[in-house]
Amino acid sequence: MHVSRAARFLTLVSLSLLGAAHAAPKKMTGLGALGVTAGKSGGTYTLPLGDSPQSLFYYGVIDNNLGLISQQMFDGLVEFNLATYKIEPALAESWTISEGGKVYTFKLRQGVKWSDGQAFDADDVIFTYKNMIMNPEARAGDPGNFKLGGEAVTIAKVDAMTVRFTLPRPAPAFLLQQRYFIMPQHKLAKYGQENGAKPADINGAWPTNVAEGEVVGTGPFKLANYTAGQKVTLTRNPNYWKVDAAGTKLPYLDKLEFLIIRDPQAQVAQFLAGNLDQLNISGAQFPDLKQKEVAGAPFKVVRSTALFGSPPFVAYNFDAKNPALAKVFSDVRFRRAMQLAVNRERIIDSVYNGLASLPGHGVAPANKAFYVNTTRQLGEFDLAAAGRALDAMGLNRKNAAGIRLLPNGQPLEIDLTYGTDSAVYPPIATILQSDFAKVGVKVNLKGILSSRLLATGQSGDWEMILHAFGDQPDPELRRPIWQPGGSLYYWHRAPQPAKDGDPANTAKMAPWEKEIYDIFNKAAVEPSASARKALYTRWQLLFAQNLPVTPIAKPENIGAVSNKYGNYVYNLGVIPGYNPVPLIYQK
Amino acid sequence: MLTYALRRLLGMVPTLLLISVVCFAVIQLQPGSFLDQFREDPRVTPESLQAMTRQLGLDQPLWAQYLNWVRGIVTEGDFGYSFANGRPVGSLIWERLGWTVFLAVLTLLVSWVIAVPLGIYTAIHHHRKRATVLNFLGYISLATPDFLVALLLIALVLNLGGTNVGGLFSPQYIDAPWSGAKVLDLLSHLWIPMIAIGLEGVAGLMRQMRASLLDVLHQDYVRTAHAKGLAARRVLWGHAARNAVNPLISLAGLSLPGLISGTIIASIVLNLPTIGPFLYDALLNKDQFVAMTLLMFSALLLLLGNLLADLALAWADPRVRFD
Repeated sequence: MHVSRAARFLTLVSLSLLGAAHAAPKKMTGLGALGVTAGKSGGTYTLPLGDSPQSLFYYGVIDNNLGLISQQMFDGLVEFNLATYKIEPALAESWTISEGGKVYTFKLRQGVKWSDGQAFDADDVIFTYKNMIMNPEARAGDPGNFKLGGEAVTIAKVDAMTVRFTLPRPAPAFLLQQRYFIMPQHKLAKYGQENGAKPADINGAWPTNVAEGEVVGTGPFKLANYTAGQKVTLTRNPNYWKVDAAGTKLPYLDKLEFLIIRDPQAQVAQFLAGNLDQLNISGAQFPDLKQKEVAGAPFKVVRSTALFGSPPFVAYNFDAKNPALAKVFSDVRFRRAMQLAVNRERIIDSVYNGLASLPGHGVAPANKAFYVNTTRQLGEFDLAAAGRALDAMGLNRKNAAGIRLLPNGQPLEIDLTYGTDSAVYPPIATILQSDFAKVGVKVNLKGILSSRLLATGQSGDWEMILHAFGDQPDPELRRPIWQPGGSLYYWHRAPQPAKDGDPANTAKMAPWEKEIYDIFNKAAVEPSASARKALYTRWQLLFAQNLPVTPIAKPENIGAVSNKYGNYVYNLGVIPGYNPVPLIYQK
Repeated sequence: MLTYALRRLLGMVPTLLLISVVCFAVIQLQPGSFLDQFREDPRVTPESLQAMTRQLGLDQPLWAQYLNWVRGIVTEGDFGYSFANGRPVGSLIWERLGWTVFLAVLTLLVSWVIAVPLGIYTAIHHHRKRATVLNFLGYISLATPDFLVALLLIALVLNLGGTNVGGLFSPQYIDAPWSGAKVLDLLSHLWIPMIAIGLEGVAGLMRQMRASLLDVLHQDYVRTAHAKGLAARRVLWGHAARNAVNPLISLAGLSLPGLISGTIIASIVLNLPTIGPFLYDALLNKDQFVAMTLLMFSALLLLLGNLLADLALAWADPRVRFD
């Protein structure tokens, strides 16, 4: 991605557009590859919501259900192209990035109105960034991305429609991050720190019993009604700034409804009964629904390879409490040997019903910008080879039960922590347990709630863990996970800094970890896209060879959609800046 | 009677305090904290986590958190703050109370109306074929969990091509104003929860009524009444059934806390907007003041239910005297 060149080109394009028209709606073109055609206005579309939203203010709570609603009511400065995942203009019509990559100037879209008719301008952007996104007391803010190397990013208003960010050092992923939803200053002013509010007050904005008219956005829909515990209704925002290829105003739909249904099986039942028009399903639910589709049910089941979504992995605790185990776990020969006993084919077939593919190493195979094919390094499932490799590293003594002995004579017995309340973790854990037993490694299953996996991981109180972290378009967005010493790099906590904000303890890193550490630091400030790609290529190879964690599979995304609707594009859930719903129409 | 009621009401205060301490301790014993869910999110910096800990008062010692909560209730009637929803607990519960009470009262009524006559029938037709069949059915419905019945009913409706498979309304009626059509829609949804949740109660009550009536039927006063030549029907309804109903009054009092925690799983499966799932979430997330308030509410209902049952007994049974 030639960021600065692309940006300059976009600026030229949008400047010429500016000359032509005062209001500049965004035209949604070039999506034919996704099957998008011209639709017609009207209709109601009903989606499931896993639980009641905890608030109606996006930055006040971290809540996936609220995120799903918010993404229909608010927009950011930039967004993803639905087909290519490339960054495109949204509320910002164009931008420039200074030479050196430290100054980002966003020219805002002319003529955008909030859903209550007020004009949108630079004050709204600055208000949102200062009070929410960069505010460490806002629960769903993202202040970490605005401190680079200990120094703060500054934001300034250039004129009514221009906003400028000045970075202390170059940050090539900065543009990608600016998909934050922009909130209306005229409705939230009393929560602003410049008006005397405390920084934490913002979390109290728009509780679920707020008057519907207060929740104002620039997104395709606006809030019409919330019935506690049952339903959220959105209606078309007549002021929305997107049009389709023919110039028809978007969204096509009149109404978007979210039915609150907690139980996934109840969601399927409601979908089959025709009360829901779209549903994301799991591989386990696929055969049943596909069968019904083939038998003539009025819906389609759609598979799509995924960039986003969480690939599960297995990690071994390099700092396990049992020093003998810790020593074995931090030995790369052990992790490579055990990878040979991970039966990925079987897991993909039986756990995901074949609806998953081989994983990448930190980057999803669908990610054209960064992925490097490391499939060969995943190795083939081969228990005999795994056994030989374990023998070769000196774990060749076995006890009467056939369990290998550690150098100190203890049996090689590992607790595997996994989430019990998940469709995939329990069967994966059992498959690992049975295959590992065949090479003389005893695995004891230790089930906990999935929501506690990360906290348990970070506590250090585990030996082997089954967990998943999401893929992102740019590895920089997952740096805390994959950079040794990062706050989420929990399988090896020794290099983590004693105090937050301090540099990582590089002395505690293995040489390959040190190299990955340096790669991430370099790539974070490297303005050249090709140089970044080269750095991240090296990282993926190091990952594949040294296996800080052992990735297992990359699940496909599967959605089911009623035949009454056209222009369906799979939508994982809350991905700010990725919203195909405005294009959906009722046939 | 009035002084008795007052004495009982006053006695509830220390009991509730004790219960609240126990509840708070148990909630704290649960591993983890409300903030754990935020750690997974790469957006949340350690700095933000500290800020949230401070905002929610989780940095204070446990006894201070508890005392603050109790003080809020006593001085301002404030039941604390839901961490997850950022709103006072009171209004959140209030929002969900309507449908909860409606469903609970309705299922209670339905199960009583069905169970009491069935119990009487099986008692007086003791050992006959039809009563045995009814008893057998009672055993089965007692042994089947309510959520399983709910799932089976949903599957049945789906297979018959129906669309009322959960919730209380079809989507288009949920936020529509009340109308005849909306009431009809409600009725077409209501029968599933009535059967699923009510059935369990029916079986239990029916057996209770049967046993208690069988007991009474052999008492001296019933035989005396028969001997005096009273009509069999007068004896049954005027004497036996009236006395046999006493244990059921106590049972009714005890069923009040079921309002909150009785039907959690069935409510989740049937997607009913009741308080049960809300309590379940609060416990899972360690949203401590929501959980505390609901548990205390449940305890209060139990105590009140007991008191009401005792008062009702005194009214129904001349042998019970408090003064």
